[in-house]
Amino acid sequence: MSDPNRNGQAYGFQAMTPIQPGMEDDLRAHLEGMHAEGSPFAKLARTHMARFVIVPDFYNDRSWGQKEEHLDLQYLIFTSNLDGDIDSYLDELCDVVAPDAQEIWGRCVGCPADASGTALKKYLKHNQIDCGFFYAAYGDATVGKVQAALAQREKVIAFASRTQGLDPAELQQAFVAEFGGK
Amino acid sequence: MAAATPKVDLADLQGDILRAYGNDYDHTTYAFVKIECPPEQARAWFADLLDHVTTAEPWTKGKPLTTLNVSVTAPGLAALGVASEVIGTFSREFREGMSSRATLLGDIGPSAPSSWERGLGTGDAHVLLTINAQERVDHRRALGKMRTAMDGFGGLRIVYQEDTALLEGSREHFGYADGFAQPAIEGSGDDKARGGGVPLAKGGWRPLAPGEFVLGYPDEDTRVDPKRRLPNAPAAPLGKSGTYMVWRKLYQDVAAWRRVMRDAATLYKDGDEEKLAAKVVGRWPDGSPLVTHPEKPDPKFDASKSAANDFRYYDADRDGKRCPLGSHIRRSNPRDALGFEGHLSFRHRMIRRGMPYGDELPAGSMKDDGVDRGLVFVCFQASISRQFEGVQVQWLNTGNLFALGHDTDFILGDPNGKGKMTIQGDPPFFLSPQEVFVKTRGGEYLFVPGMTALSAIADGIA
Repeated sequence: MSDPNRNGQAYGFQAMTPIQPGMEDDLRAHLEGMHAEGSPFAKLARTHMARFVIVPDFYNDRSWGQKEEHLDLQYLIFTSNLDGDIDSYLDELCDVVAPDAQEIWGRCVGCPADASGTALKKYLKHNQIDCGFFYAAYGDATVGKVQAALAQREKVIAFASRTQGLDPAELQQAFVAEFGGK
Repeated sequence: MAAATPKVDLADLQGDILRAYGNDYDHTTYAFVKIECPPEQARAWFADLLDHVTTAEPWTKGKPLTTLNVSVTAPGLAALGVASEVIGTFSREFREGMSSRATLLGDIGPSAPSSWERGLGTGDAHVLLTINAQERVDHRRALGKMRTAMDGFGGLRIVYQEDTALLEGSREHFGYADGFAQPAIEGSGDDKARGGGVPLAKGGWRPLAPGEFVLGYPDEDTRVDPKRRLPNAPAAPLGKSGTYMVWRKLYQDVAAWRRVMRDAATLYKDGDEEKLAAKVVGRWPDGSPLVTHPEKPDPKFDASKSAANDFRYYDADRDGKRCPLGSHIRRSNPRDALGFEGHLSFRHRMIRRGMPYGDELPAGSMKDDGVDRGLVFVCFQASISRQFEGVQVQWLNTGNLFALGHDTDFILGDPNGKGKMTIQGDPPFFLSPQEVFVKTRGGEYLFVPGMTALSAIADGIA
C-alpha cells in the first residue's frame, strides 16, 4: 500500500501532542514570538511549509443538536511539508530547531526532558498521525527547484520590463547578453 | 431555504452608513476628540451630543442643513468608562488599533505611524465627530457649536481635525470619479443589486445580507443557515445596530502620478496616456468601466444609474486584456474574477464614504506644490479583519491571489520604489517605476454605536 504521507517526492508530516496544563499561554506566546523573529524552520532547507496550531477545545454548536463535549487538555498540532524522507528530516529538525523545540514540545505531555536529538525524534514519531489526504501543490518540485524557478521568473520579468521599446536587433542582443545563447 | 431577513431598525442606526447622505453635503469635518476629564464628565457631554446625532431614518421633512455622527475608538470607550470586560468583547483588531497593525497593512516606510499626523494612532483619539454640511456657512456654524459645547463641559480637546470638501464632479485627486460603486444591501432601501451585490450563477445579482455591515442582523452565513449564530458583536446593548469604521488619511502625490503616467506612456504601444492610466485604475476618469468599454469611455455612462456597475470579469475578461488583472478596481472588488461565482469575494465588501481633502494641483502641473492633498478614506463593515484588512492585505498589497507574483496595487505605490504593474496584452506591458503615489498620514479603527448603544454609554450602563 502506498504511503498516505507522500505525494510525489514530498512528505506530509503531522504530529499532535497534548499540552501540559498551565503551559498553554507560554507556548502560545513563544509561537507568536517566533513569527516576529523569523522562523527557525527557515533553517531547514527542505521545508516547503511548517505550521503550528493550538486546539484549545471542541466547539459544539448546540443549536444543531450536538452534545456538548470538551477536550481534557489543549493540543498542539505540528505539520510540515518537506522534501524527501522523513527520518533524515526529523534528524535535522531535532538538531537545528533544538532551542525552540525545548520551548515548544518541552511544554507538551510526555516530551523527554531534553527536547532534542533522537529522544525528541522518537517522541515526534510516536505522536505522528498519518495524513488522511496529503495535497502538495507541486509534489515533484523540491524547495530548491521552486526557488530556482522563482528566481528565473524574476529575471525574465526584469528583462522584459527593462527592454520594452527596443527594436528587434537590440532586443536580441540584450537577450543573448542576459541569458546566453549562440 | 433562507428565512426573510429582518428589516434594519433605521431609527437605531446612525446615518450615512447604509445610505449615503449624498453629494449635496459637500463639506465634511472629521474631529478627533481626546477625553481628558473623568468618565462621568465625558458622559455628560456624550449625552448632550445624542440629541443631535443623525440617524438612518428617511428624511421626510427635507434634508437637514448639517448632520452629526459619532464613533469611538477602543481607548475612547475606556475614557467614557465602559468596563474593560465589555471592551474585551469588541474585535481584536479594533482593540489593537490601526497603528498596531501597520506592518500587516503595509503602512511602512513613509507611511509608518511614526510619520503620522499628531494625534492619530497614539491612543489620544477617543471620539470622532463627523459633521457634514450643505453650505460652508452652516458648516462653520456647526463647528462653532461643537467647540462651544466641548468648552462648556471642559476636559475635552480636539487632537486632530480634517476639513474636507468634494472636488468638482465627485472626483478624487488623480482625476477619477469615486465612491459610486457600493455594495447592494438587503433591506437598506437602496438595493442597487446590479453589480453591487452577489453575482448569481444564472445571471443577475442579489443584494448582500445586512449583517455584513450592521451588527445584530443576519450576515451571509446566517442567511444560508438561520441556525448559525449572528456575526460576532460587542456585548449587548453595544453591538446592536453598530458597525466598525475604518478612517484613513491618504496623501496623494498627484505630480508623481502624472509624471510616471506621462513618461511610461511613451513606451506604451497599445494606447495613450489616458488609456494607460485607465488600465491602472480599471475605469476611465468618468467612471465607465474598462471591462465594458476597453477602448474609450462610454459617452452615455451615468454613475448614478443602477446599471453603471453591472459588469463581471470571469466570462468577459478572464485574461485581463480589457481590464488588467491587477487594476485597482479589480483588485479591490474582484467580483467573479476569481471564479466560483464570486464566492471568494463577496464576504469582503465594505461601504465606502470617503472624502477628498486639500486643494487640487492645477491641471497639467507636473511639479509638486507642497500642498497636503488626498483622500480621507472611510469604510464601514461588520468585521475589520475580514473586510477592510482582507482587501488591503490579500488583494491590494500582494499579487499572489491574482497570479501576479510580487505586483502590488500600482496606485497605492511601492515604498521601495521597485514595483511594477503588469498590463495584460500581446505583448504585455510592464508599467514602472512604481513610486510612492499614496502615503498613509494617519488612521484609526472606530466603532459606530447604534442609538441605543450611544444612550447606554452616556448613561454609564455599558
